[in-house]
Amino acid sequence: MSKIIGIDLGTTNSEVAVLEAGKPTVIKSAEGQPFFPSVVAFTKDGEMLVGEAAKRQAVTNPEGTIHRIKRKMGRGEKVKIRDKNYSPEQISAFILQKIKKDAEDYIGEKIFDAVITVPAYFNDDQRQATKDAGKIAGLNVKRIINEPTAASLAYGLDKEGDHKIAVYDFGGGTFDITLMEVGDGVFEVLSTNGDTQLGGSDMDQELVDYFAKEFEKKYDIDLRDDPKALQRLFEAAEKAKIELSSTLQTDINLPYLTVVKKEPKHLEMKLTRAKLEEIISSFVDNTKQPCIQALKDAKLKPSDIDHIVLVGGTTRIPLVKKKVEEIFGKPPKRDVDPMECVAVGAAIQAGVLSGDIDKDIVLLDVTPLTLSIETLGGVSTSLIERNTTVPTKKSKVFSTAADNQTSVDINVLQGERPMATDNKSIGRFHLDGILPAPRGIPQIEVTFDIDVDGILNVAAKDLGTGKEQSIRISGSTKLSDDEITKMKKEAEEHEEEDKKRKEKVEIRNNGDAMVHTTQKTLDELKDKFSKEDKENIEKGLKELREALAGEDITKIKEKTDDLSKVLQKASAQIYQQAAQQYQQQQQTTDKEDKTKDESWSGKPSGDDKTIDADFKVKDDKKKTDKKE
Amino acid sequence: MSAKESTIKKKNANNKKSINLKNEVEQLTQELDKIKNQLLRTIADFQNYQKRMEKELKIKENETKQKYLTEIIDLNELLKKAYKDKNPKEGLKLIIENIENFFKKEQIKYIECIGKKFDHNFHNAISTLEKEECEEDIIIEEVKKGYMLNDKLLRPSHVIVAKKKVE
Repeated sequence: MSKIIGIDLGTTNSEVAVLEAGKPTVIKSAEGQPFFPSVVAFTKDGEMLVGEAAKRQAVTNPEGTIHRIKRKMGRGEKVKIRDKNYSPEQISAFILQKIKKDAEDYIGEKIFDAVITVPAYFNDDQRQATKDAGKIAGLNVKRIINEPTAASLAYGLDKEGDHKIAVYDFGGGTFDITLMEVGDGVFEVLSTNGDTQLGGSDMDQELVDYFAKEFEKKYDIDLRDDPKALQRLFEAAEKAKIELSSTLQTDINLPYLTVVKKEPKHLEMKLTRAKLEEIISSFVDNTKQPCIQALKDAKLKPSDIDHIVLVGGTTRIPLVKKKVEEIFGKPPKRDVDPMECVAVGAAIQAGVLSGDIDKDIVLLDVTPLTLSIETLGGVSTSLIERNTTVPTKKSKVFSTAADNQTSVDINVLQGERPMATDNKSIGRFHLDGILPAPRGIPQIEVTFDIDVDGILNVAAKDLGTGKEQSIRISGSTKLSDDEITKMKKEAEEHEEEDKKRKEKVEIRNNGDAMVHTTQKTLDELKDKFSKEDKENIEKGLKELREALAGEDITKIKEKTDDLSKVLQKASAQIYQQAAQQYQQQQQTTDKEDKTKDESWSGKPSGDDKTIDADFKVKDDKKKTDKKE
Repeated sequence: MSAKESTIKKKNANNKKSINLKNEVEQLTQELDKIKNQLLRTIADFQNYQKRMEKELKIKENETKQKYLTEIIDLNELLKKAYKDKNPKEGLKLIIENIENFFKKEQIKYIECIGKKFDHNFHNAISTLEKEECEEDIIIEEVKKGYMLNDKLLRPSHVIVAKKKVE
């Protein structure tokens, strides 16, 4: 079944989103923007342009460019462009067609169906006109939904039982407030209000005026007469507004802004958030009256509102959020991008209609905390990371920590801390009957399998003997929120010290492994090393053992490194000798087959055993790595 | 064969049939469970893959950032030196050359526009200027330079376009 897209058909910009594996994605236009300017143009040459391209040429072709067609929808008016009459439905259809095409390019398949949003105050004619626009564009409009409803859907407010929602939509050019009641997933509009002439662009204009006046004070020249400078002022205003949403002060530096009496002049000033708020406060204040009126019309008190949803880029300004909180007496929701939430909500509605959102299938649980097992030195080695969607299955191959170890203890842990003791042990079992072998040789595959009900099945299998042991742990995904928060918080609080502790254990483990490898090498190659090398290795080994008996971590690390260097040097010498021997042999036995000794894949003659052992270790490692 | 015998036979056959059907239902139910489980696992796998890709995308993004920020940092150091220089022209010339070379390496190309006919594919008109004698829609001023990245528009030239004065 083909995808249904969700379209926010806006006055100045339109957005489109689609559900992918249950997750809404906002689709970018072919020009690379997450929105489509709602602009259509017909050039002198008869070419039709839509979106970004139409916007770029608008000032050179005012008679052929149409903006804000949404305001004419469903009114029976026609627009005349270059001697041809178009209905608003047709113009909107051109925009929808562009959206449809770019969305098809993105998804990679044909699109036939869409959900389109309209303002809550749209009447039946306007809704029908929007539907018709879709039809003309070749889209089967599955449903028309209200913009505030879509925004609430993006926040999942349909699932929270009966409550009242205020949707505060402050965009570039308009302000809308909608009060709604939701119950059993059904939204009912209680009242709407707004101001069609109030938006973020008014704020930009005011800010540009402020910059220009400051400049005029200094140089007695009005930058607003210079289109070049004006353009840069608008860009700076937009940037400053965004920056001051997260910082308290910003620098407005516009070098070479203009030339006064043959001398270049720069604009250099600081803008504080307080000053910005002073400049825009009147616009923000103007949103209060419509809100109060809407409350009055719905016969509600501000305290009756359970949730406030913010829509539109202008709501990112901290002062706007403050105002909303002041009007309704509680903070607004803010985790979905206010520019995208209407399209996202439309995509969610589309998903419900296409059956993409089947509660059993898409709303899969995630593991709230990392699941791991305890390994050498009390370290927590994770198998399934936090936030992994279940059902899922992960395996890792482990080995023994001591020679002739015949059983392993599998301690299943839950939590974010790197050390086992700090996490919660949720199950434990033994796997025995492992054949006696040097440490690191046995391969024990540990598998974590969480089913859809959150039941964790942990199995350990000795790949050598095929022996297997397992345990079932229920409720691994069902932790209380308090518990999860507590454990996450603890992990954050102890992050630094935990890291150090883990490092310590790792250094100790490395030292331990070094002792083991060195001893093994010494035993196997004792005749190969020179007397001097052998003495050095033995000395280093002794020192490292002593260090390991103590608690001084720096010393362990130092001695491990020292021994490693000595051992490497000695081994290199052995290889060199072997290579020389091999070369000599080759030269005497087979002079023609010279290519062979160029590559290291040939098996050097001499002590086969050494080489084999070396390969084996490498092989083992590879295998283990692959499986991990 | 008596009637009784035939009924028993029939009954047995029916019993057998119902047992067979029962087995079949059981088998199909098992198969359905298995497939449902497989489907859920595939969806979970996909969601986990999405999460991993998001993480990887962030890493990639940081790598790209690093690459360009390093260039800007170097540039800043050089500009600071030029600022302290009493006669910075020579140095500035080299700095600009370096930047242009970097652009060349990254396939960033400047869009020529003055004197050309306005093209919405490359230019963004910020205003028009009425002139007595001019060709219609010719770019007469460049307010902000535009650039191409390979064959894609990085940003359009911001331009002022000539319009014929209507008498």
